[in-house]
Amino acid sequence: MAECNIHIAIIEPSHMIYEGLSNILLKGNPHGRILRFENLDELKEYRDKNCLEVIIVNPAIIMGDPGTLGTVKKHFHKAQWVALVASVFSDTLLNLFDARIQVTDTPGSISRTIARLTEEDCICADDSPGEELSEREKQVLIELVHGLSNKEIADKLHISTHTVISHRKNISHKAGIKSLSGLTIYAITQNIVSMNDIQSGG
Amino acid sequence: MYLTRKTYIKPTMKLSGLLFENPYLMLMMQHFGLNFVVQDKSVEQVCHENNINKDVFTAIANLYNGFQEQYWVHFSRKDIPAVILFLKNSHQYYKVEKYPEIKALIDDIARINNTPEIKLIEQFFDEYFHEVIDHLEYEDEVAFPYFLELAKNGGSLQKADYSARVYRDHHTDIETKIMELKKLLLKHIPLHQDKTLRRRLIINLFELEYDLTIHYAIEEDLLIPLIDHFEKTPSRG
Repeated sequence: MAECNIHIAIIEPSHMIYEGLSNILLKGNPHGRILRFENLDELKEYRDKNCLEVIIVNPAIIMGDPGTLGTVKKHFHKAQWVALVASVFSDTLLNLFDARIQVTDTPGSISRTIARLTEEDCICADDSPGEELSEREKQVLIELVHGLSNKEIADKLHISTHTVISHRKNISHKAGIKSLSGLTIYAITQNIVSMNDIQSGG
Repeated sequence: MYLTRKTYIKPTMKLSGLLFENPYLMLMMQHFGLNFVVQDKSVEQVCHENNINKDVFTAIANLYNGFQEQYWVHFSRKDIPAVILFLKNSHQYYKVEKYPEIKALIDDIARINNTPEIKLIEQFFDEYFHEVIDHLEYEDEVAFPYFLELAKNGGSLQKADYSARVYRDHHTDIETKIMELKKLLLKHIPLHQDKTLRRRLIINLFELEYDLTIHYAIEEDLLIPLIDHFEKTPSRG
């Protein structure tokens, strides 16, 4: 969690409360990003919807029309919704949210609430798992760099074409690189092939 | 998109305040052919003085601030030339300013960090650059003139050879390559006394990617649907 780069949206009309809350959140999570929105309509138009993990809303914003929250929620598949409670609201309204923060909560308890919501799946973690390639994947990469087709690699390594394709997927996922010229450069940086190999193997 | 606090832009806001918050809006104004020294004028004043639809301007400005409007309903045939001018000016910026800047940095790095990896990066970038130029030239010479004709004369023209899908595939390809360049330079290729230049290069790639992402959003989500719409409903004039 401490290393996690989470994105939090806040809809809170009071500038003081917003500033205070965002400072507390950033202390608990220095790599996080806080975005402020004026209302649900503005939130709905935000471009990187899948990056928002937590959306904190002052329920007063939706009190007049709780139905809109349901509509807006559908646009954000991955977000957890938190009510920022500064006065008395009905349970029906508060039950629309996944969690609650009270304005009287301590910084520690606010951070814990957010941590609890985000630790299960950290969607903004790096997309590549950062693992080293397996020996088999290295072999496949060497042949790829030498310009062999999936079929040729399969024949040479005595595996099925299907397996070659699955190795290729894993290689691209781990390296974060898909194109053959990109993978060639990657293979050199990892000392999997040398420049001479490429020039002679062509 | 990498600015932490961004404003959702409305036509009544003071433009200079928005420029201070997100300096990349200067680039956006340059793409519109506007000066960015605007004193105390609001967005709508600047638009009015320069004869640009304020809805088109704010929709695009909001893309720069990370907001994508759901419906581009306020646009008409009259807005097509302004959007195309924006896109053409962006092309000029890529061709004349941004790509040469990146190319020069890679050349400088290659002089200091004389390794096979950097040589291959040079090749990778050159190939990529040619692809991009081809695409930009196709748009400037074939697609845009057709769109402008359509805006002027209605949908009775011979349809130009383009489709939203072809655009999207090409854009995805261009974006993937920038992403790979960033990954290789930032994560995999060891530094070799080229730290400062490498940082400048990577920041440049981020800036290019930022502008290109918006460029493609305008083409795919604004321009192409507009064109499709007007092709189906020809004007009677």
